[in-house]
Amino acid sequence: MMQKLSRLAVSAEGFVFNPASGDSFQVSATGLRVLNALREGQAEDQIAHSLAETYQVELEDARRDVAEFCAALKSFGLTS
Amino acid sequence: MRPLKIGLSGINAVDNPGPGIGVARSLKEDPDLQVQVVGLAYDAMEPGLFMDWVVDKSFIMPYPSGGGDAFLERLLYIQQHYGLDCVIPNLDAELPHYIKWARTLADRSIQTFLPSMEQFRLRGKDRLVEIADRIELALPETRAVTNLEGLVQAIDDLELPVMVKGSYYKAHRCHTLPEALTRYHELVAEWGYPVIVQEVVSGDELNVVGLGDGAGHHLGLVGIKKLSVTAQGKIWTGVTVRNEAVLEAADRFVRAYQWRGPFEFECMVQGDRVNLIEVNPRFPAWSYFATGVGVNLPARLVRHLFGMPLPALPEYEAGKLFIRYTYELVTDMASFQKAITRGEVP
Repeated sequence: MMQKLSRLAVSAEGFVFNPASGDSFQVSATGLRVLNALREGQAEDQIAHSLAETYQVELEDARRDVAEFCAALKSFGLTS
Repeated sequence: MRPLKIGLSGINAVDNPGPGIGVARSLKEDPDLQVQVVGLAYDAMEPGLFMDWVVDKSFIMPYPSGGGDAFLERLLYIQQHYGLDCVIPNLDAELPHYIKWARTLADRSIQTFLPSMEQFRLRGKDRLVEIADRIELALPETRAVTNLEGLVQAIDDLELPVMVKGSYYKAHRCHTLPEALTRYHELVAEWGYPVIVQEVVSGDELNVVGLGDGAGHHLGLVGIKKLSVTAQGKIWTGVTVRNEAVLEAADRFVRAYQWRGPFEFECMVQGDRVNLIEVNPRFPAWSYFATGVGVNLPARLVRHLFGMPLPALPEYEAGKLFIRYTYELVTDMASFQKAITRGEVP
């Protein structure tokens, strides 16, 4: 997963550019946080715990959101 | 040292632009290259004739087909009366003629930097499979057809939708048999036979502009993705990309065929699968994009051809945008009149 994500150009405003395909995306502030955590090599569950703690949401909700985000990354060809 | 006088065709900067103006701008932007651009136009309304800040002198040319004596005579006239050190032809239809006359022109001190006739024929749309096999790329199922029975059979084999392409220019995605028939007749009327029928493949269309040195090395490669195109399928906005699989494939192409001259390498990329779509044996109309990101291929061609120092190949950055725009030029009738009556401007 890391190899493709590490190649992305990600701005502080959440604009994401894939230099291999020319595709660009916009992610929300939360999405940016998850994306950066994935790029740092954090595990999905670790990220979900962090989100649950920061935003005071149920851990299961955070896990589902992170999983959906990761599925979206895969569907856009940003992870394998 | 006197300026080099370089002839460029394709100065028709219209809604389906020729590559000439982008090539001319690139040559002018090399600060250490003294160049005078000689526009070679086929029509008195080609905008390049009137763009005197890019094109120093222009001549109306006869069409190169039909024996070619008049065409060669015109080039020699230009050389004698204005000067002509080199020609960079930018239009597909004239390339086989320039390739055929390359030796004759060189004997008259007019240089070209072109592929051989065999290389030119090999990258024809009907023979791409040989290139795809040799450089280990996938190729959409392709049929070259020369009659209606062949067209119907190809559509039966490949199943709709299909791409229907002219032998030189134009490609249409056709969803029905009547649509394919209409496009077939249009393409035959405009570009002749064969017409290419090709399987539709999905993915990102990524293109590379490059320059081969004729000895198996490239003198620069820049990859792009078209973000939006006109109704004619011509790029309007684009972005530079660094897709290593595509850049490596373009490099393999140059090495395998010892390609000499500029080229455009078109691919469809889906995940790790790279489909070869087309190889054009000339600069594309968007080649100024490469110059804008630091890889001035026309200037590198001229430097290589004339044995001038070649700067180290700069790296280009992915994520640079290309935006084409419209512009208007107002002038008086004198230039147009000269183009019509004397066949040269100014």
